[in-house]
Amino acid sequence: MARIAFVAHCLLNQNSKVAGGAVCPGVYSPLVDELRARGWQLMQMPCPEMTFTGLNRFWAVREQYDTVAHRRHCRRIVEPLAGAMAAHLERGDEVVVIGVEGSPSMGVRITSSDPARGGRPEWADGAPELAPGQGIFLEELLAAVAERGVPAPRAIGVTESLPDHDQDAQTTQLATFLEQ
Amino acid sequence: MDVDQRGFRVALVADELVNPAAGGTDALEVLRAEDWGVIQLPPAWYPADVAAPLLEQTAEHVEEFARHGYQLVLIGHRQGLEDALRHAGLELPDAVQPNSADELRAFLQARPPADAALVRGEIS
Repeated sequence: MARIAFVAHCLLNQNSKVAGGAVCPGVYSPLVDELRARGWQLMQMPCPEMTFTGLNRFWAVREQYDTVAHRRHCRRIVEPLAGAMAAHLERGDEVVVIGVEGSPSMGVRITSSDPARGGRPEWADGAPELAPGQGIFLEELLAAVAERGVPAPRAIGVTESLPDHDQDAQTTQLATFLEQ
Repeated sequence: MDVDQRGFRVALVADELVNPAAGGTDALEVLRAEDWGVIQLPPAWYPADVAAPLLEQTAEHVEEFARHGYQLVLIGHRQGLEDALRHAGLELPDAVQPNSADELRAFLQARPPADAALVRGEIS
């Protein structure tokens, strides 16, 4: 049995981040280190934002991505992903999901929310937008998995995008999660 | 804008080089040391009805990076990738089938640097 971590696209490829969001040139090493040290293999998920609104997209909150068209896009791209998870589980592999806290798409426990956001940008840098909840892609992924009758994988998000990110705390949380 | 540290260089990488068997070439380790991002290709054992749409999604990522001038390379091989790229109007990028980490490192270090205008933010 292998241990398979399905990770958000940007954790292996920071080039997919919204402009201003890349915290390193390419691979987010703290996560890779933690996973490999504990014997997990990596499986990269697609980036729902980049393949929908492109590299020049604006920073956006969950409500701006919660549209019929974006949901349809997410459902299209999670279908083979759910199939991949099912294939791993059929082999007896353990599967987990690792998202990105604070993301409108990949948040696991924390997403970004501001129902009033839209139109000509006028909010200040650092305007509060973090909110409890999942991102759109995570919701659609877990729904696709459930529709296949596959048990929902455990999930956790890295916190590198949060303003109060604490590397030591993240490492501890990841270690606890990966050893459960 | 916040400081953005992206490297503007992306490698398509066969799964067996991201998750190498014992003694295999660890491309991920080399790529992160050389500041390249990774698009991981589906494992060879995935069923066709899973792998084909995943490769189609890979091509969509590649198309977006290519049209913005990001550097792209292919490391290893994945059956079906060339067809998926061709369907999106793309060709296979420069490729290497490395037999060692040193060979991969040499290939990457021989690549030109990322487009300076991209790095300076003059084009996007």
